[in-house]
Amino acid sequence: MHTSSKLTKEFTKKWVKGLQICCSSKKNMDVLERKKKIKLCADIALASAKNATTSWSIALISEAKKEGENEILVDNLLGPESPFKQQKTIPLMSACHKRVRSKKILKRSCSVGQRMKKMGPPKSNLAIYIAKTLVKKRTQVLQRLVPGGESMDEFSLIKEALDYILSLRVQVDVMRSLAHAAEVSNQSDPNVFG
Amino acid sequence: MFTTHSRLDAVKPDPGMDTYWAGLDGGAFGDQLGYGYMNPNPDQRLLVQGNSSLVSVSVSPKKRKAADIKGQSLQVVSDKEKKIKGCSEGESRTTNQNSNNKEASTNTSSKEKSKISEVQKPDYIHVRAHRGQATDSHSLAERVRREKISERMKYLQDLVPGCNKITGKAGMLDEIINYVQSLQKQVEFLSMKLATVNPGLDFNVDNVFAKEIFQSSTSDFPALGCSSVNSVYYQLNSMDQVVSYCGLDMGINSAETGLRRSISAPISGPETFMDSSCFNQVQPTTNWDADLQNLYKMEFEQETLIPFQSHQFTGSNEGSNMKPES
Repeated sequence: MHTSSKLTKEFTKKWVKGLQICCSSKKNMDVLERKKKIKLCADIALASAKNATTSWSIALISEAKKEGENEILVDNLLGPESPFKQQKTIPLMSACHKRVRSKKILKRSCSVGQRMKKMGPPKSNLAIYIAKTLVKKRTQVLQRLVPGGESMDEFSLIKEALDYILSLRVQVDVMRSLAHAAEVSNQSDPNVFG
Repeated sequence: MFTTHSRLDAVKPDPGMDTYWAGLDGGAFGDQLGYGYMNPNPDQRLLVQGNSSLVSVSVSPKKRKAADIKGQSLQVVSDKEKKIKGCSEGESRTTNQNSNNKEASTNTSSKEKSKISEVQKPDYIHVRAHRGQATDSHSLAERVRREKISERMKYLQDLVPGCNKITGKAGMLDEIINYVQSLQKQVEFLSMKLATVNPGLDFNVDNVFAKEIFQSSTSDFPALGCSSVNSVYYQLNSMDQVVSYCGLDMGINSAETGLRRSISAPISGPETFMDSSCFNQVQPTTNWDADLQNLYKMEFEQETLIPFQSHQFTGSNEGSNMKPES
């Protein structure tokens, strides 16, 4: 758990910093906008707290950077690290795509060959086929959930999902404690924020 | 276990074994293995007819373990293992030896691993039964891959709550998906909550939270008349409550202690200043970079909260704003 506490600290620092930057730009935002900003800051802080060690964090930041207005925020938040991330994304994605495509072709040819030549009872074939499609569908869903998951093979997808789950947990913890603290302080001392 | 080792050694240099195994056709080989292993052990039947690779893996290790405790199936298992090892060894020799040297070595290492751990045996056997026409390099690589995946799945079981009962690959993936989705939804909800709870003054929320962290970093709480500080104190108490009835309280506790340790370290100097309970004074710090800890220290040392604007957080401006307070 040492890593998670370190991650918590990093995330909190960066998130608060991002929020400060965010709120400085616009004074009056409606709730939805603010929520988006908060979430964006949280996501970027989470991804940057990982220091580009995992591909989901890289993918998350590159996604966030695509929108023009967020770029400034992201760059401010990341500091000198951002150019590295940008450089990393492009070769990573292309390599992953190629790898995935070639693997898909290989798998398809192998599975077709196996299915054709297998003399087993049709029951087992069908059951296995159904099970495999189930697993495949679920991996597809997981790929959509985990940022940057489309260009990952099954094994690294699971690894990324593990890491992502850990970081999400940290994020939820910090946000929840902050929300509760803010709520309590609001109740106890409404004049503080007057 | 000992017997298998010796048998394995016997298999390797024996040329007769090679020809025997080499003579088997691919399809027939698969069939033989598949059906051959079905009979002695009902688990195998499950494997062949079963669903996906890891689903059947899940079923058999338990049964195998139970059987092993009884001690009856050990011999059967060991026999199968010998056969499998012999088969794989033979097959690796039938194909290109140069390319397969590495894979054979990995195969033997994985075999030895499987000897040690009972759980890997069914995975091993299951791959055998399914192989059919695939060439060696693919099958070996696949086997290694599946072992890796099952290892990761086990780790995931510990991570994702409520996954101990489910052992199939599809089920596990389902749980993972649900968990990730729920976590993401929680993030959305919490960010919405934060957006609504404090309309317009996100800064102070952050300040308050940081103060809370800072407050918790100091071990003693001097008697304070300041209302702002009292509110912080209340928050800290409530934080403890949150910690106690939060499901992830272990994580939060460690996080908090981590935060305290991390934040209290660089600001050990001003802490002594704090203890003197001179809240009106402002400690003149020379380097006012955008370091958060310094900022929060400064805010805490003021009596009342001043709604800070963003431009005040740059170094030089802070100095100009702070000094007139003292």
